[in-house]
Amino acid sequence: MKEKHWLIIALIGYLALVYVSWDSSVNVSPDGRLFLTFWHTYNDQEEQVLRSIIKKWEALPENAKYTVRPVRIPFEGHKEKIRTALTVGQGPDMARVDWSFVCELARKNAAIDLGLLGFDKIADQYLKAPLKSCYVDGKYHGLPDQSNCVAFFYNRTLFKEAGLIDKNAAPDPQEYLKVLPKTWEDLKKIGPKLTNKEKGQYAFAMTNTLWWNLPFFNTFGARIISEDGKKCELGSEEAIKAVEMMAELHKEGIEAGAWRAGAITPEQGFVNNKYAMIFMGPWNLARFSGLGAQLDFGVGLIPAGPNGSSTNVGGTDVVIFKDRDEPEKLTERIKFSYSFLTFFTNAQNQVEWCQKLNQIPINMGAYDLVKFEDKNLGIFMEQMKLAGANPVVKDFGLMEDMVNPEIEAILSGQKQASEALKIAAEKIQTRLLD
Amino acid sequence: MTPKTIGRTLLFLVLMAIMIFMVFGISGQIIKYGIMVFAALSSGEGFAGSENAASIMSKADNLIASLSVIITALVSFFIVKKYICSIERVRWDFLRRMFLYEVLMAGVILVLFPFFWMLCTAFKPSGQELVLAEGNPFDIIPNSPTLDNFRRVLKIDSESKAMGVIDPVENKKNFGTYFLNSLLVSTTAAFLVTLFSSMAAYVFSKKPLPYKKNIFVFLLATMMIPGMMFMVPQFFMICKMGMFGTKWAMFLPHLASVFGVFMLKQFMDTIPDSLLEAAQIDGASEWQVFRVVIIPLSIPIILTLFLLTFLSNWSNFLWQLIVTDFENPLSITLPVGLALFRGQYVSELGLIMSASCFSIVPVAVLFLFAQRYFIEGMTQGAVKE
Repeated sequence: MKEKHWLIIALIGYLALVYVSWDSSVNVSPDGRLFLTFWHTYNDQEEQVLRSIIKKWEALPENAKYTVRPVRIPFEGHKEKIRTALTVGQGPDMARVDWSFVCELARKNAAIDLGLLGFDKIADQYLKAPLKSCYVDGKYHGLPDQSNCVAFFYNRTLFKEAGLIDKNAAPDPQEYLKVLPKTWEDLKKIGPKLTNKEKGQYAFAMTNTLWWNLPFFNTFGARIISEDGKKCELGSEEAIKAVEMMAELHKEGIEAGAWRAGAITPEQGFVNNKYAMIFMGPWNLARFSGLGAQLDFGVGLIPAGPNGSSTNVGGTDVVIFKDRDEPEKLTERIKFSYSFLTFFTNAQNQVEWCQKLNQIPINMGAYDLVKFEDKNLGIFMEQMKLAGANPVVKDFGLMEDMVNPEIEAILSGQKQASEALKIAAEKIQTRLLD
Repeated sequence: MTPKTIGRTLLFLVLMAIMIFMVFGISGQIIKYGIMVFAALSSGEGFAGSENAASIMSKADNLIASLSVIITALVSFFIVKKYICSIERVRWDFLRRMFLYEVLMAGVILVLFPFFWMLCTAFKPSGQELVLAEGNPFDIIPNSPTLDNFRRVLKIDSESKAMGVIDPVENKKNFGTYFLNSLLVSTTAAFLVTLFSSMAAYVFSKKPLPYKKNIFVFLLATMMIPGMMFMVPQFFMICKMGMFGTKWAMFLPHLASVFGVFMLKQFMDTIPDSLLEAAQIDGASEWQVFRVVIIPLSIPIILTLFLLTFLSNWSNFLWQLIVTDFENPLSITLPVGLALFRGQYVSELGLIMSASCFSIVPVAVLFLFAQRYFIEGMTQGAVKE
């Protein structure tokens, strides 16, 4: 009898759950306009600014027929979501994707060649390095909407403790920039002063993945893939020198070995005053500043190699997908999608976007107009101009899987740089380029 | 004093020192955690709130230390008294038990530490998740706690409230909606999988069927194919059936569980056929035999399967991601909702942990209720009689 009571209670609870959760339809304000669906991965604050820009675009008389519906999807899994949706014709009109995904979408004939819509004429408005990630097989298949890079973060407390800066000196960033290493050789020189192994403190810490290692390659002028995209050049003299320098930093005890599994990550070591210098992107500026007195830090340019200072390119691009009903045509939906994306990334809207969200502009026209309270963003803008283009391949994740273990073998002294990079280059050539 | 007695006393002192260290540490952390929760609850939103909570925490330092000392002293007194009062002969036994409890305590600390880390990180202000305490990296309780992560997850912070006024749908895109959606999907899936699997297992175990063994082996062979291989065809079928974006799509393709059939069949094989025959002689129909004899006898294993299916659906990210229609944000389930807190480069650890605090509740409740059956089910077949 008691069991029956429990069963009835469970059944009532379940029915209530069905009632509450089942009908979850949403009435999106139908004001007679046709929807252009834009899948994005922005966060709450970014979505608010996006919506305000959409309203401005809608208000233009020529766009009276359409509106953009922003649909938020998680960044994690966005590639799988888009792949499967496109397979069954459920894809959006446009989507914001990781920079490394554009090549796959272009090669699978899913993303529109923006050149057909006249993008070639305005392409030079955008930052060169991020734009290159959209340039696949001689055509632009997307345009950058948000871009970033890594720069050199330094921990002022550790610089003071090492005696590189007077403890009573005014917090003038220029003073720190004077002692900050300008070249990799400079880093080797000041490294021992910032390293105290007993306290677990190191001058520098790095992550070993290809994307995070690109600044090393770029400062040495090494290319991963040739200009025409047909040959892997990872085995080049410059690439070997770059990785040998990385290995030396570790061997000399200047680098913490933060790339090892289970080690304190560069970010964690930096915020806990263990690592004096790390590569880090602008996405952590606000978080680090929020730590107040706990973390006294600054940002400088990445030390120069034979090719000068340089960095990698991160961020996202936006692509327009072919019309599911008329895949061979440049339909009106595609044209209006393009109109929205160029409006979204024009100089004026970039100024609004970047100032509200503290992000680096991707439109060169916005570079002189944007003014940030956080001076460190200015360093990032400067660093961004020096960025080298990322390698564009159909599967960047697979490329990482082939390169990362080889570089780890070099860093841990198991392999010679020339031997390991040659193996990685052969694998890339066979599996990704041939 | 004999050397044996000296050795025993020394061992007792060593074990006692370890016990004092453990009790002092654990009680200190529990009291500090309690005060931290109180400080967070009694402080407001934002930076000012966490500053206020920090001042409460700093004032409580002495209180935490004194309470920990009192608790440790009481526990020590109790143990020493028990030891002294015990008769000479059972003292080795006492020490053995004491050692065992200390090892178990260490095990419990090891197992519960990730949960404790989750509970602490949920209270940390944004950006401080990775900051460790000076001098003691294991002191993970935040000194300036805040409830902001919980507020943001439940969308009851001032920013979300303001956004909710502009767009009511936005306000419903919160953890509560994701939680209820997941609860519905997981419960329905678990119920239907156990129902269908038990019926199939009954046939495979007790009923005559042509080529029964071959069919069963064939079904088992399908378990060798990774689930990912089915994903695109299943998604294609779901779309063709017009179920994309519905809750049916979340669980319908996974209702046929070969693992479930296998698990239940193995158990049902141990039920004597004579019981079924006796029921049939008494006039029971096929359905009655299944309902009155098979189901009650298989309850432990059925509940185990229910729990396992519930768990797999509760945490199934990829499938739920691809069948979710994000144009209707109210259909999002928990694993997918949690992924929204992770960006390209930054993960909102505080938000993820505060949401996880809620998300483990149904699983924990389910396990607590069904624990007896679950353990019974897992150990069935361990002994062959």
